[in-house]
Amino acid sequence: MASKAGDWRNYKRVLLPPVKDLHRLDVYEDHGGYDALRQALTTDKWDPASVTDEVKKSGLRGRGGAGFPTGLKWTFMPPVNPDVPRFICCNADESEPGTFKDRQVMEYNPHLVFEGMVLAGYAMTIKTAYLYVRGEYADWITHMERELEKAYAKGYVGENIMGSDFSMDIVIHKGAGAYICGEESSLMNSLEGRRAYPRIKPPFPAQKGIWNYPTTINNVETFAHVPLILSKGADWFSSIGAPSSPGPVLYGISGHVNRPGVYEYPSGMLISDLIDEVAGGMRGGKKLKAVVPGGSSVPVLRADMIDGVTMDPEGLRDAGSMLGTAGMLILDQDTDMVSFLRRITHFYHHESCGQCTPCREGTGWLENIVTRIDEGEGNVKDLDLLIDLCSQMEGRTVCALADAAAWPVRHTITRFREEFEAKCRPSLVATHVESAAV
Amino acid sequence: MTDFIKDPVVSLPDRMPEPVIPGDELFFTDEEKKQIETWVSRYPTADGAVMRVLWLAQEKFSFLPAEVVQLVANALDMPYAKVYGVATFYTQYFKEKKGKYVFDVCTCFSCQWCGGYDMLHYLEEKLRVHAGETTGDGLFTIQEAECLGACGSAPMLQITNGPYVHNLTREKIDALIDALREGNMPAFESVTLPQDEDELSGNRRTDVDKTTSSVTPPVSETVK
Amino acid sequence: MPKITIDNRIVEVEDGDTLLQSCLDEDLEIPHFCYHPAMSAPANCRQCLVEVGMPRVDRETRERVLDEDGNPVIDFMPKLQTSCSMKVADGMVVRSHRTSELVKRAQKDNLEFLLINHPLDCPICDQAGHCPLQNQTYKYGPEGSRFEFRKVMKPKNIELGPRVVLDGERCINCTRCTRFTQEISGSHQLTIIERGVRNYPMTPPGVVFDEPYSMNVIDICPVGALTSKDHRFKARIWEMSQTPSISTTNAKGSNCVYHVKDNLVMNVTARTNMDVNEFWLADEDRLDYRKFNENRPEGPAIGGQAADWDAAYAEAARLLQSTSGQRVFFLGSALSTTEDNYLLARLAEHLGADAPAYIPHIEAGHGDNWLRTDDRAPNTQGCERLGFSALDAEVLKSRLAGGDIDVLYVMEDDPVGEGLCELADLEGVKVIVHHHHTTNETLPAAAVAIPAAMAVETVGTFVNCDGHAQRLRPAKAIKGVNRTLAMEVGKSRADLHGTPFDRWYTESNMVDCEPGWVSIPAIAERVGLSLSYKGPRAIMAELSEDNPAFTGATYDAMGESGVRLDVTHQPDTHTQTA
Ligand SMILES: Cc1cc2nc3c(=O)[nH]c(=O)nc-3n(C[C@H](O)[C@H](O)[C@H](O)COP(=O)(O)O)c2cc1C
Ligand code: SF4
Ligand code: SF4
Ligand code: FES
Ligand code: FES
Repeated sequence: MASKAGDWRNYKRVLLPPVKDLHRLDVYEDHGGYDALRQALTTDKWDPASVTDEVKKSGLRGRGGAGFPTGLKWTFMPPVNPDVPRFICCNADESEPGTFKDRQVMEYNPHLVFEGMVLAGYAMTIKTAYLYVRGEYADWITHMERELEKAYAKGYVGENIMGSDFSMDIVIHKGAGAYICGEESSLMNSLEGRRAYPRIKPPFPAQKGIWNYPTTINNVETFAHVPLILSKGADWFSSIGAPSSPGPVLYGISGHVNRPGVYEYPSGMLISDLIDEVAGGMRGGKKLKAVVPGGSSVPVLRADMIDGVTMDPEGLRDAGSMLGTAGMLILDQDTDMVSFLRRITHFYHHESCGQCTPCREGTGWLENIVTRIDEGEGNVKDLDLLIDLCSQMEGRTVCALADAAAWPVRHTITRFREEFEAKCRPSLVATHVESAAV
Repeated sequence: MTDFIKDPVVSLPDRMPEPVIPGDELFFTDEEKKQIETWVSRYPTADGAVMRVLWLAQEKFSFLPAEVVQLVANALDMPYAKVYGVATFYTQYFKEKKGKYVFDVCTCFSCQWCGGYDMLHYLEEKLRVHAGETTGDGLFTIQEAECLGACGSAPMLQITNGPYVHNLTREKIDALIDALREGNMPAFESVTLPQDEDELSGNRRTDVDKTTSSVTPPVSETVK
Repeated sequence: MPKITIDNRIVEVEDGDTLLQSCLDEDLEIPHFCYHPAMSAPANCRQCLVEVGMPRVDRETRERVLDEDGNPVIDFMPKLQTSCSMKVADGMVVRSHRTSELVKRAQKDNLEFLLINHPLDCPICDQAGHCPLQNQTYKYGPEGSRFEFRKVMKPKNIELGPRVVLDGERCINCTRCTRFTQEISGSHQLTIIERGVRNYPMTPPGVVFDEPYSMNVIDICPVGALTSKDHRFKARIWEMSQTPSISTTNAKGSNCVYHVKDNLVMNVTARTNMDVNEFWLADEDRLDYRKFNENRPEGPAIGGQAADWDAAYAEAARLLQSTSGQRVFFLGSALSTTEDNYLLARLAEHLGADAPAYIPHIEAGHGDNWLRTDDRAPNTQGCERLGFSALDAEVLKSRLAGGDIDVLYVMEDDPVGEGLCELADLEGVKVIVHHHHTTNETLPAAAVAIPAAMAVETVGTFVNCDGHAQRLRPAKAIKGVNRTLAMEVGKSRADLHGTPFDRWYTESNMVDCEPGWVSIPAIAERVGLSLSYKGPRAIMAELSEDNPAFTGATYDAMGESGVRLDVTHQPDTHTQTA
């Protein structure tokens, strides 16, 4: 399989174009900032429905992890009823381990996010938009608040935006440390001042969202694409990268590479290109052992599984993983996959909201067993038990955190089984083999 | 790694604690009240502002003892139990007094493989306290953190829910501690996008004091 | 009404109901913990999973797609669904553990998870024997556990408040208790604190869980995490009998269950009656049971000397006939049954006395517009509907002072204790008292003292403040031999847990007393009035025929949930004074 990213070496960045101080409103304006919004609000070019249509046509899929078609999501909002408030919410909780791209957008191009949110608000007739930022990003909240104030002053946000009769507020909401708040229904409870327990679905946010009012939630990067789609056209967007999930993607590359960081390239890049050419190759010339392509929740790929694999939902599905957040962890030959999995199970155990049984109890059990194996006290039958427990958690909980906790366990074990067996107690490995032979 | 798995004990909070904030200091100023009103006005119900007000209270009183949680509840006319349930849910709200500087050292996922544990252990040895503990002089608390969204500049830490320190090394930690002992919080540190290094020959922001460029992460000594 | 198919059985269900409730209504058990019909459904325990399918609908024609055999094609949802959060819809097809291996497995898996951090201390747990977790584990759970690590240790034996004790380790985090304080009582005294596996319910610091309804969380907690401080470790559920009856603490007549061991009342819990108290019971109703066990009399007395029953009846009759009816003052009682008050009224009428009055037990400010009322007596309405009037202390005092009263007949109340008169006022007055307790302060003045059965020992009817007539059932046996009562006791003690009644031998726990419907006819007979009914059932049948204020209140109609009486026949309380 070949790269779907076309001539990526000559790709010109659009989300984070190479412009000094683009985060400042004046610079942003000088470079075409808020033009798409101006067109939408002050010309006949875009009525609300056609904004949604354009986003739909662009093929943009959510960048928060689930990859849901954005335009389609927007059409789930019920018809406008002036008596019923409705909201949009920008998900900047970015806590999926290995993911750090949204922070870079907020640092370097916050107005693109604001503009995207106002356009989405215009498309869905929204009066209030919340920007839920994880509490740890305190400095970035301060920066964004400063820029948001300027955008208000210039009339890009607030009452009668650009003299039109469309008004919308953006409210920055500061989280306080909980991965689960990235899950959209938990985020809504958190916003409402409750414990951030995810809600059962249905009802979905478009039916009953924040304060039970119709709500659309999208990721930071998702909103950031919207002004670009409107100013450059859906066709332009859909021609970039992998046809089934087109557009620019912010690849967050971390781990054992020479040049980690966030890179903007078309979707559908080859994993191997991203490692070898984009991120400067493996640190110290070591051999690649494993790649986690989209945040800690997605299945890990062994080095021998990435040949020709592209970074788009279909490419990764076929390879046995998922695109997730496109936050890639690259691991070299010296990595102990048991220890790797142990730390992941610790994360999910720590971050389970504890509301529902299989996740509250299962995540801790998983960590217990993997820890025991990592410490050389495990039995080979523990590996089967782990897989069994994954089956007991997957698809049976209120939210997808339990699935996200189970997938890495299931796939790290199946894909690196010998390594796990090697760490188990030797005597019991033998017993197991014998009894299996009988 | 925090040893909850090994010693899975959930302790009971003090149910009838003595107030620690003197009664005459336990209030929001008129200015703070106005700020709270502004926040409240941005949500359909006052409850939406509770996280911001808890933040305000924590910044003012340095942590959230019971009487402060009650103060927040009163300010928003919310049930006290509800606010307490919220305050205990999130890790960034401090339910007990911590050091003046709290180091949240990321050891998660990417950081684990780029020396996060080395940095944690170095700090522990240097400050002679374990993760989860505070130094005797009340200056420093060390905590092990989950991914803080800066995996490209691993290993890293955050200071007291504020600035991030990226691309940690032992030397950087030494300098950091010296600076903090003098009372100097590090300035915001902007991580340069690798593509900006190529196309803009450096960080794009001209308004930050400190930048750090993409660095090849160190080889982790603790875990391989 | 939508029709759904549950395990191949087609049932009609209520529109808007949840699937779980529909199944329960059909007597189809679905294991569950967090769902409670009165509260929001968080679907957090994940025990009630089922397979759910819907008929496939053709997009164009909007018709159901049929297979070759003409049956609708059913598309099952890819994941199991929590039936507690799923609304029923016409054509829905449901497979529970009865027909689905997948569901069976999911239920077993979930119970395994629930138990890994559970202390499994059933042998010392008050909930054992009536514990949904224990019961459902036996029915649907795994054989053993594969968990080989240290269980999470949480705070135990914590007094959340004066009446409720928490064992954090037993808690399964269903949030029923916190939802109760948020959605039902509104006290907001509880919240889940912490996160993840550390979660448990707690009061915020400085708050005591002392709301007047706190003990309801004990009833609804599906495990033994919340127990009654009063009842803890006192008796196992299978050592007690359970009698559905009514509480006596106030005029609401909340429905309750009396738990009795060896003829002592040990505990009182809520009984559902959607017309009265729904699922709830005030703490005062639960704790005010020692009065049934303590300071109870031992047989009748004449002039303070123990006497036998016949002698006491004869002496009472003699006193009643020693003067003219006009000089006998009858006090009925808002604490006694309607039947007994009615018999008393008949006796008074026969003697030519005024209709009885009753002592009001009003405690202003006590009521809360929910299950507690200012009126601390259970049957004021019954008295009012019989035409009795509230006793005016001044009237009684002046009549006593004026020497207008020769005989004062007090049924199951205490005019001295209630401050309506003093012992000195009763000098020279012959007092006949039916009493519950030896502490009755009118007793020293009693010429004849007749021990009376209390609400847990008799059969009868109370009418609550809203005009709801409800039956009392005997929960504990008394000493005397009474066929009617014995039969009723036999019926009213539900033997849910194999309770060993035959080993209840402690004589002293059975009080030597009689219900009013035994003692009043015995006295009446001796003054020439026959009140021979075949027990209180017949008395109520007569009342419901003859007295429009009781129309419809037959025992059969009242059953276990009572009958709402016609309001128009409720006499006005305030215009009538003695
Ligand atoms: C456990 C969990 C954590 C999540 N965390 C995030 C997050 O940090 N940021 C985010 O944008 N989406 C996160 N999501 C996905 C959101 O629920 C939601 O799908 C997304 O915000 C929708 O935006 P999109 O359509 O633009 O991707 C998370 C989902 C789960 C199940
Ligand atoms: S799956 Fe986990 S995180 Fe999600 S609701 Fe259940 S307990 Fe909470
Ligand atoms: S104490 Fe009981 S009712 Fe409360 S959450 Fe725990 S199990 Fe549920
Ligand atoms: S793993 Fe340390 S910041 Fe993401
Ligand atoms: S009863 Fe349905 S999930 Fe608990």
